[in-house]
Amino acid sequence: MIQRMLYNGRVIWACMKKDIKSALTERVFTIISVFLPLNFLILLSLFVVSGGLAPTAVVMQDTGPYAQQFYNAMAHAHSFALQRDSASQAEQLITAGRIVAVVTIPPDFDARIQSNQPVQVNVKINNLNTDFTNDIRRAVPLSITTFYAKAFPNVVSITTSEHDFYQQDTGYIPYLTVSILVIALVMSGLLQAGTASAREWENATMKELMLSPASRWAIVIGKMLGSFALSLIAVVVVLAVLIFIIGVYPVHWGEVIGFTALTMLIFIAWGTLLGTLIKQSQAFIALAFGTALPLFFLSGAFGPISFNTQAIQVIAQIFPVYYAIVLQQHAFHNFTLNTYGLGTNILVLCAYALGLVILAAIVLRRSTVAN
Amino acid sequence: MSSNPMRTIWAIFKKDLSIWLLNKRNLAATLAPPLVFLLVQALGAVAVGRSPVALVTLDQGPKGLQMQQIFHQADVFRITDATPTQAQQLLKTIQVVAVITIPADFTQRVDAHANSPVNVTVNNLNLDFTNDIRRSVPDAITQFYQAQGSASPIKVTLSEQDLRSRDVQLFQYSVLPTIVLLLTLSGLVTSSIAAAREWETRTIKEMLLSPAGRASIIIGKVLSAFTSTFLLGVLVLLLGYVLGWTQPEGIYWLVSLLIIALVALMSTGLGVAMGAALQRTQPVIAISINVAFYLFFLAGGIGVIAFEPIWLQNIAAFIPLTYGVHALEQAIFYSASDLLGRDVLVLSVCALVALGLGVLSMRRGIAS
Repeated sequence: MIQRMLYNGRVIWACMKKDIKSALTERVFTIISVFLPLNFLILLSLFVVSGGLAPTAVVMQDTGPYAQQFYNAMAHAHSFALQRDSASQAEQLITAGRIVAVVTIPPDFDARIQSNQPVQVNVKINNLNTDFTNDIRRAVPLSITTFYAKAFPNVVSITTSEHDFYQQDTGYIPYLTVSILVIALVMSGLLQAGTASAREWENATMKELMLSPASRWAIVIGKMLGSFALSLIAVVVVLAVLIFIIGVYPVHWGEVIGFTALTMLIFIAWGTLLGTLIKQSQAFIALAFGTALPLFFLSGAFGPISFNTQAIQVIAQIFPVYYAIVLQQHAFHNFTLNTYGLGTNILVLCAYALGLVILAAIVLRRSTVAN
Repeated sequence: MSSNPMRTIWAIFKKDLSIWLLNKRNLAATLAPPLVFLLVQALGAVAVGRSPVALVTLDQGPKGLQMQQIFHQADVFRITDATPTQAQQLLKTIQVVAVITIPADFTQRVDAHANSPVNVTVNNLNLDFTNDIRRSVPDAITQFYQAQGSASPIKVTLSEQDLRSRDVQLFQYSVLPTIVLLLTLSGLVTSSIAAAREWETRTIKEMLLSPAGRASIIIGKVLSAFTSTFLLGVLVLLLGYVLGWTQPEGIYWLVSLLIIALVALMSTGLGVAMGAALQRTQPVIAISINVAFYLFFLAGGIGVIAFEPIWLQNIAAFIPLTYGVHALEQAIFYSASDLLGRDVLVLSVCALVALGLGVLSMRRGIAS
């Protein structure tokens, strides 16, 4: 029994070393796959670098005090990145696609407001898609109510009295980059483990492994450990950038380390399983990259999944990415994104990890030399 | 004596295309992700821009009920009417972003022109959701006042002019960048692997020892990668058409196909260049995919480039995919040829440059 264990330990160690050495012979690929998670972090962050503010030109045909107040109200509407321009400049910018809206404050704005007469503010919108367009359409009424609240507090009596759940707002970038971290872990794990497995089949070196007396699960664990070691470098780089450059400091450091390791384990197991099933590194890599984007959108990266449609809620909870995002958001920001509790989310991920490792070993056992 | 170039091109074309078609796993791996991505976008489309909120109406007076109706009609929320206890439970179980409460004395206060706050408790997890609520509640309030017509105390009104003839839903809007991503990914990966494989498996030797002209070999390889990429792009466009998401009209079908062809040609040329330069499939795959994603995201991804910071807009101006997405948007959503000349020129020049690089790289590889 003890001899068997020692033998398996040697197999695991040997497979791990072999995979690391094999990866180091493909230096270009290994370097790219180490920096890949960082690339994902950078690229997906480009989605939100604008902070959701609509670049808008304001044409101030009236520069009186009420017009200025209206401009200030717009500036505080959490929706616009304002710049003052002339009408012709604004027209040029919106036509060239540099801005998305032009707001024109008419020349008689102050006079009409003072005499309590209706006044129209023209808003020209580059209505490319309804999501962005509606943000602008709603932001202007917000500016109007804010303007009246300051300029004529007795006239418009209905206001908003806001109470926030959390003491401070979390910017969109600090929130989203934590979700992107999870996808980066997914990519890193899948790529390292999947290509290592698929390569064994492509190069037919799997034959020697399968004909040896080594147990299948020892081979699988050895391969996974090799991928884990390589992924670790990528993960350290990503975490360093996220924490020290982007400036998202975790509330619970221990959770970050623990959940990161658990997530890596799951996707390394998943990559090993898929690589064994697909047996072609080219197809596997295309699939790994291609599924990362849909998974990112499907798994509550932008907010709690319960805010989404029922269909997405059901589908998201099938994949471990969702639970990993929930846990990392708790680790970094102390957010609670579902009602399962920390323990249950961790248990789910552990179950995935165990299940995938067992499945990978079973698939390998059922693969034959003829494959 | 050299062989007939057309026969050589045809032979290389058939060979590479057959290899691509026979590799069903690769085919599925290339096609599945964009299709899954489109499906995810469609499934989640209903929720975009409409936050789930609980509405508690404590005032049964006319103004309170009117306000309640306005919130329902405003179509800015997905509303659940609830009691205070139910609303708190929904907030606690993260079923709603916010609880909006119309207080019991709302009608009284509005009639007396006293301060009448609508209470909003927000789960301010991130600024995206929070700002949606901060915009949407005042939007409903202004609609409440607008309903009073000329008696409304709010004299500032909005006159909206849209640059585009129609609004496009977010999931429809994201189909075109997805097609462009597919074209870039497929073109780069397929052609780079097809090129690199010849060196890796040493079949380039047989090709060079044959009477086939080198130009014919290169053209055959480019043509097969272009064809597979172009067909994939057309397939997704047709799928969008069948689903009613992307429906070009009349001549704009031709424009759309032209743009797809140009993007496919450009990505194929780049892929051949990379494959012939690196001559190993594994690194070529990784680099191709990275390059494809970088080009895609720097061209604005599925977002609106005008929303991005100026530095990113300036970078996007140098990325050919920006022009591809723009031309497709104009043709498919607006049946317009706005700046089509510019877009076609940029894409054509880039396709020619990419093909030139591809040819040079293959020639150097062959020579070495």
